[in-house]
Amino acid sequence: MSTREIFDSRIESGLLLLPTLLVTVVFLYYPTALAFRTSFFDSSFGRAEVFVGLENYVELLTSSGYHQSIIISVVFAAVVVGGVVVVSLYLTFLIHEVDTGQGLYLISVIWPYALPPAVGALVFLFITHPTLGVLTGPIESLGVEVDWFNNGSQAFVVVALAAIWKQIGYNVIFMIAAMNNVPDTLTETAELDGVGGLRRLVSVYIPIMTPTIFFLVIINTIYAFFGTFAFVDLLTSGGPSNATNILIFNLYQEGFSFFNFGIASAKSVVLFVIVGVLMFVQFQITDKYSYYGG
Amino acid sequence: MVGVLQYAKRRVDALRGNYETQRIHEDDLGTHFQLLLLVVAVVFPIAVALAVSTKQSGVVTSVVDLLPGGYAVENYREVLVDYQFGRFMWNSLAMSVVIVVGKLIISVFAAMAIVYYRVPYKDLVFLFILFTLLLPVPVRFIPLFQLMNDLGWSNTILAITVPYLASATTVFILRQHFLSIPTSIVETAKLDGVGPLKFMLFVLLPMSKGVLVGVSIIMFVYAWNQYLWPLIIIDSEANQVAQVGLQLLQGDVQGGQLSWSLVMAGSTLTLLPPLLLMIVFRKPLLETFSIQQK
Repeated sequence: MSTREIFDSRIESGLLLLPTLLVTVVFLYYPTALAFRTSFFDSSFGRAEVFVGLENYVELLTSSGYHQSIIISVVFAAVVVGGVVVVSLYLTFLIHEVDTGQGLYLISVIWPYALPPAVGALVFLFITHPTLGVLTGPIESLGVEVDWFNNGSQAFVVVALAAIWKQIGYNVIFMIAAMNNVPDTLTETAELDGVGGLRRLVSVYIPIMTPTIFFLVIINTIYAFFGTFAFVDLLTSGGPSNATNILIFNLYQEGFSFFNFGIASAKSVVLFVIVGVLMFVQFQITDKYSYYGG
Repeated sequence: MVGVLQYAKRRVDALRGNYETQRIHEDDLGTHFQLLLLVVAVVFPIAVALAVSTKQSGVVTSVVDLLPGGYAVENYREVLVDYQFGRFMWNSLAMSVVIVVGKLIISVFAAMAIVYYRVPYKDLVFLFILFTLLLPVPVRFIPLFQLMNDLGWSNTILAITVPYLASATTVFILRQHFLSIPTSIVETAKLDGVGPLKFMLFVLLPMSKGVLVGVSIIMFVYAWNQYLWPLIIIDSEANQVAQVGLQLLQGDVQGGQLSWSLVMAGSTLTLLPPLLLMIVFRKPLLETFSIQQK
């Protein structure tokens, strides 16, 4: 029993917890319950709701548009998570390797943590704009015609690059802490054994940083699925021909372009399940590695 | 510490008859070169935005066009006044400050009840709060929209602040920090007969300054960068926030009524508050992140 528990008034503790619990119940649990309920109804603006059982879910199961959106989201998440982790690990390693200017390098790469996605999207729209982008000329001189307003795969690449760029800062923040935690003696031993450069990153640092990297993979996956809405909305609006229509944007359209709240609620439930699975995986992994004190 | 390690290393080197490893600790120019390249890549898009925001038109066709122009004052004035960014920024600031202050107060209350009170079921209550990590805005914005309509809160500051006030992350970080405050201090307070209010104001808060600053920055960046929810729930320009204000600028520039230099000025303005806070308070911010991962 912890000796920190110096107070025992139930009324006081209840009052202290009340504001958080009230907001939690009214604005987090209740809307979630409402989403589950509405997902069994045919519901839209200005019409009476009709109970339809599992019909909305059946529609999702059979909708090729929704299947396509799932596939796009998974590929997008894989590209973004892979890109973010690889670039951030290498950047962190380089910063870890230098002695002079470490603080300055660090702030120059972690600042995108503060970058609003909407700002990132507009800046990317400008520098890669097919007719007046700064980067368009140099890219076209390599023999690629920049046409991402019409070309689906190019649009996918632009959105993914913008999303990767924004997430690097957050990742380096956690990775540099984890890399600095690697005991100096281990680095010295590796150096003595002639394990230098990249090989030291791959065979010494990455294994020790595994818990942090897993944590970031989960956080980045949730980010790729849900935190990239502004990039899609401002850069492509899900197009061209749905090439960048990830689940969160698809849900937004269902709710606020088509106003099908029944189907949109079923789609919300699907997203809830995705978040749940990711969090469960993270919990398992954290549990597994907690023995290392990581 | 470093001295001891270097001494140990020299001893090992001497034993091995290997003196060459000494040079590893000198900075490698190649590493600095790679770092500089990557830093330029990460900063480049924003540097372009900044440069273009000072020019008459947003057309950039060569590197020379990236030099700052003489239209900074005029552009920023036009965006702030004619395109209402002054108003949008003010609304964003009001939203963020209300969320930060409100969240901080009620989360300190909740964490204090969870750590310092001996009452039944408090672990269950903590789990109940922690479980809301599964319910981010994307999972519940459809039902939340309906709830706000029922409450009559649509288009008000209540809609974009109150649902954000309960925070599993903040309660978690504060709880972890409170658990790290030595029990001897807590027990002394108890022996002195300090009541809960005094304990919070004169023991807990002074011992938590760094963490309180750190979570405030995390909360501010999160609140300021919100895009999807204000986009849905705020529909009058007078109440709109800066992130969605950028979407309005984007619409105008795609329609040809607006020059890109004004869009970049709006983007720069929207980036500044979270960026400056992050740079100024980077130390407590980074320390708080290291608590979050545990």
